[in-house]
Amino acid sequence: MSNKLDLRDVQGSLLKAYGRYGFPKSRYVFYRVNDGSQARKLITALLPLITNSAVWKGPEQIPDSTLNIAFTYEGLKQLGVPEKSLHSFPPEFSMGMKARRDIVGDVGVNAPACWDPIWNTDGLVQPVHMILWINGRLVERDGQQVNTVDAGYQRLCELVAKHSAGVEQLSGHVGDEGDDPSYQDGSAIYVNGMPTAKEHFGYTDGISEPYFDGCGSHSSRVIGGGKPTGGDPKTKAGWAPLATGEFVLGHRDEAGEYPAAPIPSVFAKNGTFMVYRKLHQNVATFQAYVERMSAAIPGEHAAEILSAKFVGRWKNGAPLATYPTKESADQFAAELNQARLEAKQPGAGKAAQERYEKLRLELVAFDFRDDIDGSRCPLGAHIRRVNPRGSLEFGKTGAFNTPGALINRRRIIRRGLPYGEVRDRSSDQGNHGVIIVALNASIERQFEFVQQQWINYGNDFKLGNDQDPILGNRSVNESGNDRMTIQADPRGKQPPVLCGDMPTFVETRGGDYFFVPSLTALRMMGDGIVDPT
Amino acid sequence: MSNIAGKSYAMNTISPLPWHKALVLKLLFFIARFRTTSFNGLLTLSLIHYARWAILRPGDFPHLDPSQPKEDLKYHYEFFFSNFNGSWDQYVDSFSSAIPGGLDLFWRGNVKYPKSVPFRPFHNYITFNQYWTSHYYNAYPMAASNDVKSAEHLRKELVDFTRKVEGASPEAFKEQYDQLLLSLQYDLSTMAPTPVVSLAAAAIDGRERPDAAC
Repeated sequence: MSNKLDLRDVQGSLLKAYGRYGFPKSRYVFYRVNDGSQARKLITALLPLITNSAVWKGPEQIPDSTLNIAFTYEGLKQLGVPEKSLHSFPPEFSMGMKARRDIVGDVGVNAPACWDPIWNTDGLVQPVHMILWINGRLVERDGQQVNTVDAGYQRLCELVAKHSAGVEQLSGHVGDEGDDPSYQDGSAIYVNGMPTAKEHFGYTDGISEPYFDGCGSHSSRVIGGGKPTGGDPKTKAGWAPLATGEFVLGHRDEAGEYPAAPIPSVFAKNGTFMVYRKLHQNVATFQAYVERMSAAIPGEHAAEILSAKFVGRWKNGAPLATYPTKESADQFAAELNQARLEAKQPGAGKAAQERYEKLRLELVAFDFRDDIDGSRCPLGAHIRRVNPRGSLEFGKTGAFNTPGALINRRRIIRRGLPYGEVRDRSSDQGNHGVIIVALNASIERQFEFVQQQWINYGNDFKLGNDQDPILGNRSVNESGNDRMTIQADPRGKQPPVLCGDMPTFVETRGGDYFFVPSLTALRMMGDGIVDPT
Repeated sequence: MSNIAGKSYAMNTISPLPWHKALVLKLLFFIARFRTTSFNGLLTLSLIHYARWAILRPGDFPHLDPSQPKEDLKYHYEFFFSNFNGSWDQYVDSFSSAIPGGLDLFWRGNVKYPKSVPFRPFHNYITFNQYWTSHYYNAYPMAASNDVKSAEHLRKELVDFTRKVEGASPEAFKEQYDQLLLSLQYDLSTMAPTPVVSLAAAAIDGRERPDAAC
């Protein structure tokens, strides 16, 4: 069933991965609402600036910077959203991320005591009420790169200043020397002056993107982005669009129902829920661990092989399931890069575009049916955990009503960018990591489930308490560390590689749960006319 | 009271059904036992530790003491008992997405059974008929059924290994040891307490998790 979404009503972050449109920078700004009436006026004033999801049909339609907005439960309360509407929100949202720390695994080194001051406040109720975030495009004028985020931020500050009695910008983000603690910046990692898709451990990130009914992306993006059908994963027959309601409120979800959402329905429709998390990366610990454990990998390129086994992709993005050797992955990456350059050439023909698109699909057009034993992509590898692509049937084709039965309701749209720079790779200190922005219709069923059952635990993969090698918080386990088995070919003679004493590589530095309203709902909030009767 | 103990969630439901439909269901249960494919989906759902459906006649309910009032039951009842990883709220989607046909078969003919899809009426039906657990004991709180299966496999392989390497040369030992690791590569995961799947259950446990120094 095709679902036509009103893209002008849906905020831009939900359907547009800004990074793919050439927006390598972001800024996240947080506010407390001090006066509901003045804050409502601010929302009305902000409305024309909020970026929606309407398709940009050409470069001239792409703005220099985008602006989006979302609210915590406390924020909605301060803005005067009626009690009846407030009580209709799902409990995990009204509780907020700090109160859900045991569910999410934010304990030990991830505990709120270790978060940035803006998030590490007394009590469970956070002072953050509202987030506004800006994404800035890479623009060159007179041969110089223009900081479009600064310009967007300036514009925002001027508008907020006119309603200064309504809201107060909150400080308390920890950054490197010279960083302004009154906002959180995000940025792609630059190499040779150009933005890349890398994160601080060196992996290519942001490759997979869920494809759902009405999302507006090209239909070929269903390959690897939709839900598995049991057909050939390299073709459209192998995938079907996920239901809109898995990501957008007010639309049917994979259970054929409307997701739990606040009332009145017009207030919820075309909105979604967002998880904002700041994650610090222990680069030195990660590198040292890879180097130490790679002694157990026979042959050349041991560290690169081990790094790939942790994630399920080589650092250049090639999936292990399709490219099990470094040589094949490197060759693929070189071809992909060449095709990308040729497709970007002015006057590049249709053939060049198609060749690039065909190769790009190789990054996502796979599942694990040919690798049920995990000898290529380990059962506990990061990408196999967070998107098992039908592998939870464990090779028993037809066991479930659909191969994605345990997966289709756990998908998440990921946005966000790295932050900070690694100034000393021999130290975990410093301020660098990744800002995770996760969008889903149900924080409990999607984000929290994945975080708890698939990242900090392993039973669904028959891996006991083993965690995600990259994101797992080892403090969840009493031992304070974790292990991972890198499966060998069960028909061969090589034993598996056992990675023990695995420390925590990624630590939480704060965040919260937000409601991302539609443009209609924002208008209602600004006018103060939300009425659930 | 908690339905969670260790890595297990205790699910008991007792749902009414007319006697003639109970007979049909009994027959279906009987046939299912002899069809090897009947439980394929259920068995593949490795998060399930155990599941059993049984039909109870009105007279099957225990009358423990003369002081217990006699009940005049008009229906037969279907008793469902299961232990599984996580919580019912977390995994109800998985059950109704993975084996909707099986669930509809097992609860066929039950009064007001809504079918397993869409899932919310199914969720409500089960919760309404759920027999809430006042006391739930788990002898191996750190073990899910997958952990137990792995432990059994590990034990068997290890016993075989010790027999094979008795008096073996270092080279032969190494070869056998590598073989042992290979045969156990799906059974060597960490076993530790369950993550907190329910804040309410955690509060009941009174579990305290340390907030370590940064």
